[in-house]
Amino acid sequence: MNERIKSVCVVGGGSAGWLAAAVIAARHRQGHEDDLAVTLIESEAIGIIGVGEGTWPTMRNTLRKIGVSETDFFRECDVSFKQGAKFTRWVTGAEDDFYYHPLVLPEGFPSLDLASFWNHYAAGNEAVPSFSDAVCFQEAVCEGGLAPKLITTPEYGCVANYAYHLDAHKFAHFLRKHCIEKLGVRHVVDEVDDVVLDGKGDVAHLATHRNGPLAADLFVDCTGFHALLIGKALGVPFRSCQDVLFIDRALTVQVPYDTPDQEIPPYTISAAQSNGWIFDIGIQTRRGVGYVYSTAHTTKERAEADLAAHVGPAIEKLQPREIPIRSGHREIFWKGNCVAVGLSAGFLEPLEASALVLIELSVEMISAMLPATRDTMDITARRFNDVTRYRWDRIIDFLKLHYVLSKRTDSAFWEDNRDPATIPESLQEQLALWRYRAPGDQDFSSNSEMFPAASYQYVLFGMGFKMDLSERGYLVRDGVRAEEAFRRNAALKEKWTRSLPKNRQLIEKIREFGMQRV
Amino acid sequence: MHLVELSRQHHGGLRLDPARIGEQVARCHMVPLVISEFRRALADFPIVLAKSAETGRFSPYALMGLSPEENLFWDGTRLDAAHVPLNLSRLPFAIGIDQQPDGAVRNAVCVDMESPLVSESGPEALIDGQGRDTAYFLGVQKVLHELLSYKLMTEQFVQTLADRDLIAEMRLNIVLESGKPLVLTGLYGLDEDKFNRLPDATVTEFRQHGYLTPAYAMMLSTARIQSLIDRRNRAEAGDRAWFQ
Ligand SMILES: Cc1cc2nc3c(=O)[nH]c(=O)nc-3n(C[C@H](O)[C@H](O)[C@H](O)COP(=O)(O)OP(=O)(O)OC[C@H]3O[C@@H](n4cnc5c(N)ncnc54)[C@H](O)[C@@H]3O)c2cc1C
Repeated sequence: MNERIKSVCVVGGGSAGWLAAAVIAARHRQGHEDDLAVTLIESEAIGIIGVGEGTWPTMRNTLRKIGVSETDFFRECDVSFKQGAKFTRWVTGAEDDFYYHPLVLPEGFPSLDLASFWNHYAAGNEAVPSFSDAVCFQEAVCEGGLAPKLITTPEYGCVANYAYHLDAHKFAHFLRKHCIEKLGVRHVVDEVDDVVLDGKGDVAHLATHRNGPLAADLFVDCTGFHALLIGKALGVPFRSCQDVLFIDRALTVQVPYDTPDQEIPPYTISAAQSNGWIFDIGIQTRRGVGYVYSTAHTTKERAEADLAAHVGPAIEKLQPREIPIRSGHREIFWKGNCVAVGLSAGFLEPLEASALVLIELSVEMISAMLPATRDTMDITARRFNDVTRYRWDRIIDFLKLHYVLSKRTDSAFWEDNRDPATIPESLQEQLALWRYRAPGDQDFSSNSEMFPAASYQYVLFGMGFKMDLSERGYLVRDGVRAEEAFRRNAALKEKWTRSLPKNRQLIEKIREFGMQRV
Repeated sequence: MHLVELSRQHHGGLRLDPARIGEQVARCHMVPLVISEFRRALADFPIVLAKSAETGRFSPYALMGLSPEENLFWDGTRLDAAHVPLNLSRLPFAIGIDQQPDGAVRNAVCVDMESPLVSESGPEALIDGQGRDTAYFLGVQKVLHELLSYKLMTEQFVQTLADRDLIAEMRLNIVLESGKPLVLTGLYGLDEDKFNRLPDATVTEFRQHGYLTPAYAMMLSTARIQSLIDRRNRAEAGDRAWFQ
C-alpha cells in the first residue's frame, strides 16, 4: 500500500471548494510535468449557499499567497473593509449598550498587561473610557466611519489591521477564474450522483451525471450542508452542539443602499435581539443582513418582525430567505482519503465570522501536510483531526462566552444561555481563572489557537466582566508604563482619525486608481 | 494658489519677477519631472518615484533635500544645478485642464495669481510694445509645451514599471557627519536585480518605447544621493561654525 498521491479532487465550488483548490494548487502546481493534478467539480444546478460575507484578517495573507491582486479583489467582489465587530445591546439590551471587538491588539500587548491596569482604573470610576476605546485606536476609526489605510498604502498593507466584507457569489466566481486561468485547476461542472468506495473504505471514484467516473487519490469534500462524501458516503457522525449554542435558523436579506454614496460602516454590526442576534455587513453595493435565532425560543413571525424593525422600510420590497442551521461538526474531518472542509465539516452561528477562517486554516494545513503516499495519509489525517477538533472546541467556547457574559433578562433565550449546564467545562475553567487575572498568551499556548488572548480581553471587558485584582495588587501599582501606553493610544487615535479617509471614499479610489503593489 | 486661465485681454499688462522663485523653491524637497528631462536632471539629482497622496500612483521626482521642506540646492538666490526642472522654470504658469460641458478636454495655460513671481514691479512682461510675445514668455511657452508633450509618456513609463513589479521602496539609513541618523521613507526606485533579469522580449519592448534610457538614468542617479548627503553635511558644518 504505497500508492503515491498524484491527484486531488475538490468536490464543491463554494467559498470552501475554491479556497481549497486555490491554496493547494498555488503550492503544488509549479508548472512542471510532475505537478499535482487538482480538479474541482461543482454542480451549477445545486449552486452555492451564497452567504458568509465577513472574513478575518487572515484572508489578506491567503489571497496574497494564491497570487491575486487586492485591487482586482476589491473591484470584482464588491469588497469593503472590516475592522472588527460592533456588538450592540449584548450586555444590558439598553439603547446605548455597545462594545467593540477590534482587530488591532491592545497597545503594548502582549508585553504589557494593559487590561489589568484598565480594570484597576475603571473600578468605580465612570469617567474612564471603555476598554476597547482606552487600549486601542481602532474603535475611534470605526466610529468615524473611516478606512483602515490610505490610498498610498500598498496592497495588503495597512495602517490598522483589517479584514473584508465581500459578495459571496462574486467571491466564488473570482476564485474560480483565478484557479482556472492562473493556477491550472481543472474545472468540471456536473452533479455527483454517487460516491463509490473501494474495498478498504476509501473513496475510489465519484460517479458523475455526464462525465463518467472521476477518480483521485485525495478527495476534499466541500459539498456544503450536503456533506456528500464525509457524511452520506463515509458515514462520519455529526456531533451537535445545540445544547451549548441555541441558534438554529437564519433569516437573511440583501438590503440596497438608500443612495449610492451612503456611508459603509467599516465593521460588522452584531445587534442582539430578544432571541438571537442580527448581523449587518456592508459591501459596496448593499448590506447583507441576517437574523440568526433560536426556533425553540421564538416564532418565525416574531423573528421576521424583529428583522423588519432592524432593516427599516426597505424590508417591504424584500423577501427574507430562511436557512436552517444545525450547530455542530463531524466527529472527525479526515477519514481515509477524504477530508471535509467548510459547511460539510460543520457550522456554528457566524458570531465571530469563524467559518471562512477555519476553511483557510484547514486548507493551508492540508496543503502543507499533503501526504506523499497513501500509507502516510492516516498519520496526517489523525493530526489534522486533532488540530481541527481543538479549533472547533475553542470556537464554541469563544462564541458561548458572548452569551455567558450577557446580563440580558428580557427573554428565556438569554437566561437559558447562562444555565451552567450549557457552558462547556473548558470555558468555565477559564472564567474561573480570569476572575483573578486577565487572559494572556499563557491561556492559549497551542500552535492551533483560533482567537488570541486579546480577543478574549475585548469581549470580557467589553461586556463588563470584573476582575478581582486585590490578591495581586502589586502588579498594578506602578502605572508609569501603562499611562504611557494609554497616552500612545490617545495620540494614535488623534492622528488616524484626522488622516484616514472615509471607508467608501477609499473604496472608490481603489476602484478608480487601484492600489500599488509596493 | 489661485489658478486662472491666461488671456491676452486680462493679463496683457502682467509683470513678473523670476528672481522671486526662491520663495516657492526654498522649501521644496521634491520636484516632479517628465521623462524627457531625466538625462539633464541626472547631472545633479537623484531621480526617485513617490506616490500621490490623492491617487496613490507613482510619479518621478528630482530629489532636492533629505527632509521635507529642505532644498539643498537653493543657495539663497538661485538653484545650484545644471538643469532647473521644467516644473520650476514654468512657474508661475501651469497647464490647466479645462473640462468642457460636452465632455471634451482642453488644455489651457494658467497663471497662479497668488504666486510671489506675479509682481507689479517685476522686470519681465508677457507682451512687448509691439504686441508680440516677449522672449521671456516664448521661453515659458516652450517649457509648458515640453511638459505637456511628455506628460503621457512619463505616466505610461511609470505605469509600465509598476505593472512589471520593477518598483521597490528605497530604504535609506543615512548617518550624517554630525552623528545624526536620517531615515528617508516614501521614496521608491527601480529594483535593479529584477530589472537586470528582465526577459529579452521585455527589454526589446522597453527599447522600442524609449524606456531604457530613462530607466538607466533612474538607476544611475541613485549615486547622487551621496551628493545630497555631502551638501547636507556642509550645510550643517556651516551652521555649527556660525553658532560656535
Ligand atoms: C446565515 C449565514 C451567515 C454566515 N456568515 C458568515 C460570515 O460572516 N463569515 C464566515 O466566515 N462564514 C459565514 N457563514 C458560513 C459560510 O457561508 C460558509 O462557511 C461558506 O460559504 C462555505 O460554504 P461551502 O463552500 O462549504 O458550501 P456551499 O457554498 O454550499 O458550496 C457547496 C458546493 O457543493 C456543491 N455540491 C453539493 N452537492 C453536490 C453534488 N452532488 N454534486 C456536485 N456538486 C455538489 C454545490 O454545487 C456547491 O458548489 C455564514 C453562514 C450562514 C448560513
